[in-house]
Amino acid sequence: MKKFLVEFLNGIVKENPTFVLLLGLCPTLAVSISVVNGIGMGIAATFVLLGSNIIISLIKNVIPDRIRIPCYIVVIATFVTIAELSMKAYSPVLNRALGIYVPLIVVNCIVLGRAEAYAAKNTVVNSLFDGLGMGIGFTLALILISGIREFLGAGKILGYTLIKGFEPVFVIGMPSGALLVIGLLLGFFNLLKSKRE
Amino acid sequence: MNATQFLTIFISAVFVYNVILSRFLGLCSFIAISKETKPALAMSLAVMFVTTMSSIITWLIYRFLLLPFGMTYLRTISFILVIAAFVQLVEMIIKKVSPPMYRFFGIYLPLITVNCAVLGVAVLNSDMFFLNGKVLPGSFIYSVFQGICVGLGYTLAMLLMSGVRERLDLCNIPEAVKEFPLAFIIASIMSLSFMGFNGFKF
Amino acid sequence: MTNKLIVSVSPHLHINESVRKIMWLVVLSLVPAGLAGVFIFGPQALWVILLSVASALVTEGVLQALTKGKVTISDGSAFLTGLLLAYNLPADVPFWIPVVGSAFSIAIGKQVFGGLGQNIFNPALVGRVFLMASWPRYMTIFTKPMIYDAVTQATPLALLKENKILAHISYWDLFLGKRGGCIGEVCILALLLGAIFLLSRGYISWHIPITYIFIVGLFAYVFGPGGFFTGDWLFHILSGGLVLGAFFMATDYVTSPLTQKGQIIFGIGCGLITAVIRLWGGYPEGVSYAILMMNAAAPIIDRYTRNRIYGTK
Repeated sequence: MKKFLVEFLNGIVKENPTFVLLLGLCPTLAVSISVVNGIGMGIAATFVLLGSNIIISLIKNVIPDRIRIPCYIVVIATFVTIAELSMKAYSPVLNRALGIYVPLIVVNCIVLGRAEAYAAKNTVVNSLFDGLGMGIGFTLALILISGIREFLGAGKILGYTLIKGFEPVFVIGMPSGALLVIGLLLGFFNLLKSKRE
Repeated sequence: MNATQFLTIFISAVFVYNVILSRFLGLCSFIAISKETKPALAMSLAVMFVTTMSSIITWLIYRFLLLPFGMTYLRTISFILVIAAFVQLVEMIIKKVSPPMYRFFGIYLPLITVNCAVLGVAVLNSDMFFLNGKVLPGSFIYSVFQGICVGLGYTLAMLLMSGVRERLDLCNIPEAVKEFPLAFIIASIMSLSFMGFNGFKF
Repeated sequence: MTNKLIVSVSPHLHINESVRKIMWLVVLSLVPAGLAGVFIFGPQALWVILLSVASALVTEGVLQALTKGKVTISDGSAFLTGLLLAYNLPADVPFWIPVVGSAFSIAIGKQVFGGLGQNIFNPALVGRVFLMASWPRYMTIFTKPMIYDAVTQATPLALLKENKILAHISYWDLFLGKRGGCIGEVCILALLLGAIFLLSRGYISWHIPITYIFIVGLFAYVFGPGGFFTGDWLFHILSGGLVLGAFFMATDYVTSPLTQKGQIIFGIGCGLITAVIRLWGGYPEGVSYAILMMNAAAPIIDRYTRNRIYGTK
């Protein structure tokens, strides 16, 4: 059980896909304009990660090595399509907000990366926890970034205005602001890391 | 179909909604490969070729396979499979025809498959140039042109970034922001400056 | 850090004194424009200038002290950045705009790159574009000149963008600064005084500004509102932030190319982008964006216009 916990926590802190591995940045930056969108994307990606990690770990011994990448992609694409259709049906507002970034989960480096680096080499249960950990790490990162961006860029959190009279910094909600926020966050984490050493 | 539409697509895809600096597609490869100009240019050319070709192929598939049979929900799967197959094909052809070029491109070629820009422009085309299952006028040529422009936008961002990063290599950057944080901040300023073309109307 | 051999890109300034001298001389050359701005827009302009400069100095001092580097705010570069940012702001902005903008200029536009000489982008413009994107409402309130109360009036370029008639503005008005606009950009006469000073002493060269202004004028003339070759090029040259930008910001050593050929390319690029934005873009003025985009291209321009060393390919 302890091993599973280690796998799980790995995805959240030590090998956080966003801040440490620098994977899956495309959707992270695009979607992190509001916390709601961030959570939505996080859940969708976690679902896909879980599904694909489990399935790929199950069939890893059956897939011929030469065509393993296309096989992974088919599995991942299937789960993405399920997620996409579910979102269209149950939450069209979220689907419109996330736009093209839902189908783009297929090429999200996190999903394919974990499939290749982990699920293909480990047991199903381990892969499950890895997928869960990575997914939650991704979601937490999304919440952090979109929290900052929604607060500074629109003066709200989850749609509620926190401080009256605060003039939001519009640029933070724009692509430029996204790049700035992640650049500064990465620099900040680097600073923390060097202080610890 | 008129000339101004082409100009609008050009300005939009290259500057205002630049694939990397504004839509964030292809960011992973952008941050990783923009350290030096030569590899950056090589990757850009390869990406531009693939975005153009995949725009053509995915449009045909959407128009003649998915739409008529009501299978547009298979868009994601079919597009990515087609792209993966195409890139694999290109890789094999280059390997046969010109081994030096194959070695030159190295690992970049397979990486293009997962380059968000490629799948992104295909999805974008089908969103922008089809409406409720109907083919909008000029759809094909606009899609192809957008594919080319997205590649151009990618190339522009890569070229500028690699020049900047090569220059910064000679400087003394503060430890905390070395490499990636600074790269993002530079991209942020570039993105800000590209916004100057907002609202372009010819 | 003390005994490292640091190889940096030329120009190699041998003594720190010469950096300081140049910076303060540029500041001096900008004084007439500042005086004109305060005269035209009133005491609030002076406040903007003071706040911006102070914020720049404090930000640089604090950041340098925190990172245990040398505090070099007396070298004039932070002062210059604060001054230039103020000149790019309308006179009636809320007090926190120049403070925040200036701090951003220094922190993100300069210090994050490692300080003077290493920044890629013009720091004042980084701050200005940041402010424009973040608080567009405040950045576009322009007041009537010579009336110190806040009576708003659109700038000539903004009127042109909306195809409104500009009957009441003469070239003289534009030249002297009797028009709406940013503090340091309106009085062409004052700016030219400073520019001629810098040019005559050789602190800036003519290549960038003249090429830049020429291209903008050319495009304005060719793509006139009433058909080809009917444009009012003099109006375009005298309006907006072109003169300020061309002589004082595009010419910044650190962020522009080294060779003459490179500088001409730089000037052409700036001119092209400015003209395109002014003529067909959504914004009335494009100088800031143009210079920043060309700043990004400067390293590439340098790379391909390197002077050939004798004997090598």
